Amino acid sequence: MQQVYSIPKSIKQNSTFTFCPGCDHGLAIKLVAQVIDELELKENTIAVASSGCSVLLYDFLDVDCIESPHGRACAVATGIKRAHKAQGYNKFVFTYQGDGDFASIGLAESLHSALRGENITAICINNTNYGMTGGQLGPTTAMGQITTTSQSGRNKEYHGFPIKTAEHIALCEGTSFSARVALYDIKNIINAKKQIKKAFEYQKKGLGFSFVEILSTCPTNWKLTPQDSHKKIENELIKVYPLGIFKDIEND
Amino acid sequence: MSEKVLLKGNIAIAKAALNCGCSCYFGYPITPQTEIGEYLSSKMQEKKLAYVCAESEVAAINMALGAATSGAKVMTSSSSCAVSLMQEALSYASSDELPIVLVNVMRAGPGQGYIFPSQGDYNQATIGGGNGDYKIIALSPSSVQECVDMTYKVFYLAQKYRNPVILLVDGLLGQMAEPITIEDNPYPNIDNSSWILNGAKNRASRNIHSLEPNPKKLEEHTLKLHKKYLEIEKNEVDWEEYNCENADYIITAFGSMARIAKGVSDYYKTKGVNFGVFRPKTLYPFPYERLRELSKKTKVFFDVEMNLGQMHKDVCQAISQNSQVFFIGRPAGEWLKQDEIIKAIDKIFEGQYATSI
Repeated sequence: MQQVYSIPKSIKQNSTFTFCPGCDHGLAIKLVAQVIDELELKENTIAVASSGCSVLLYDFLDVDCIESPHGRACAVATGIKRAHKAQGYNKFVFTYQGDGDFASIGLAESLHSALRGENITAICINNTNYGMTGGQLGPTTAMGQITTTSQSGRNKEYHGFPIKTAEHIALCEGTSFSARVALYDIKNIINAKKQIKKAFEYQKKGLGFSFVEILSTCPTNWKLTPQDSHKKIENELIKVYPLGIFKDIEND
Repeated sequence: MSEKVLLKGNIAIAKAALNCGCSCYFGYPITPQTEIGEYLSSKMQEKKLAYVCAESEVAAINMALGAATSGAKVMTSSSSCAVSLMQEALSYASSDELPIVLVNVMRAGPGQGYIFPSQGDYNQATIGGGNGDYKIIALSPSSVQECVDMTYKVFYLAQKYRNPVILLVDGLLGQMAEPITIEDNPYPNIDNSSWILNGAKNRASRNIHSLEPNPKKLEEHTLKLHKKYLEIEKNEVDWEEYNCENADYIITAFGSMARIAKGVSDYYKTKGVNFGVFRPKTLYPFPYERLRELSKKTKVFFDVEMNLGQMHKDVCQAISQNSQVFFIGRPAGEWLKQDEIIKAIDKIFEGQYATSI
C-alpha cells in the first residue's frame, strides 16, 4: 500500500497543536514544514519566532529556532543570516510573525529588511487583530471591524486606516517576492503552499527579501465558528485584502 | 604589534574588536561614539564580515541578538540615550544567554542631554533598564590603553558566561588620543558548539527563547541565571588600588575620574596626607568585599563621580558601619577638575561637610 500522507518531517513528531480550534496557525505551520521538507532545508534552517500566538512555532517546528523580542524578528533574522554569511555559510533563515508583530510594532524592522534586500523570508499571519491578548484592534483590523478596543467598530476618526502589508512590502526595491494568500478552501491552501515555496526558493537563489502574508482565521476573538471564520475571509476580508502576487522579480 | 601608536579611544576599541575576531557589527550613529561604526564599516566590508547600518538602535541590538545565536563574536556600540533603547533586548539576551558586546561611550543626560562628558549611565549599566532578574557584566576603562585591553576582555567574558557585557566608556576616553600598544588578544576562544543555532544537522533541533509559560520552569531558569551571576561575582571582580595601603583617606572613582583622583592623591602626598584611590574596573560585579576590607583601616572615603552619586550607593553599601563616605560630583557639562575636588575635600576637612560642589 502506498502512503500518500504523513506528518511533515519538520514537525516535531510527538507534538500536538495547541492553537484554538479553527485557528489557521496550525495549517500555516504545516504548510511551512511541508515546504521545508520538499526543499530539504531542515538541517540548514534557523527560524525566528515572534511575540503573540506565532511564538509557539518552536513547540511544533523541528528546526533550530529563536524567539525574537516583539516586532524585531526581521532584525534578528538579519543578524543570523549575516553572521553565518560572514563565516562562509548560507543558512536558510525565515521569520514567522503575526500582523501586529510584523506591521505594527515591527514595521521599521520589517520595511528596512525589505529595503536592504535582506536575503531572508518573512511569513506574516494576518488575522486582523491581536489574538493572544484577546482580540484588540491591530494595524490590519478592517474598517468597521469590532474588537475589544474598537467596540463599535473601527472608524477613521478614532483609529485611522489599516495597512495593506503585502502591497507595501512589494514597493521596496529589495523585495524579490511579495504575495497574499488565504486558507479558506483547498484551492487556496494549495496556492498558499505554492507561494510559500516560491518565497523560500527565492531566498535559496539569493534574490532578496521574500514575503508571504497569510490571511488567517481567529475564531475565538472573532466570536465565529471555524466554518464561519473561513466564510468571513472569503466573503469579507479578501475584498479588503485582495489575494495575489504583488511582486515577483522573476516573473514581473 | 607592540609599537606605540597614537589613537583615540573609539578607534582603539574598533581595532581591538577586529583583532580579537569580532565578525559582526550592527550600529546606528550617535555622538560621541560614531567613529567606532565609521572605522569598522570599511574594515569589515574589506574582510567580508557582517556589518549593517541599522535603521535604529533597537534594530542594531536585535541584529546583534540574532547574530550571537551563531556563536560569532558580536558587537554593537552606542551612547547613553540610545543605549536606553537597547534595554529590552539586553533583558532578552540575558534570559537567552547570548554573548553580546555593547560599547556605551557615554554622553550627558537625562534625555538627549548633550555630548558633554558624563558618567551618568552607571545605574543603567549596573542595574539595567530592562525587566526581570538579570545582570549585565560592566567594565569601565580609564585610559585608551585599557579601552583596548578591556575590549578583548569583554568579548571573552561574553563568550565565557554567555551573557551580554557592557564596556562603559567615558565620552572623554572615546574622544581622547593617547599613545598605546595593541598587543594580541590574550584570551582563548570558548567552545560554543553545544548551544549555537546553525541548523539541526546530525543533532536534535535547538530553540532559544525567554518565554516560559510553565511557572516552575520559569523559576528554575531564573534561578539558574542567578547562580551564574553569583559565579561571575566570585570570579570576575576587578579593581585598581593607588596608594591605598595605610591610606587615611580613600577616593573611590571609576573611568576617567579615577585618573584625576590620582592627581588629587599625589597632591595630598606632598602635604603629608595619605590619600589612596580605589578604582573598580568591573562595575558589575562591584568589588564590595575589597572595599569593605579597606574600610576596616580607612575611615573616611570620598566618592568622586561625574554624576550625582550613582556609584555612591555601592560604596556606602560596601564600607563598614564605622566609616563614612562623602560624595563629590558634578552631573554633566563642566569638567570636574582636580582643583575643584581638592577644594571640595578641603571644605569637608574644615567641617563644612558639603556633600556636593
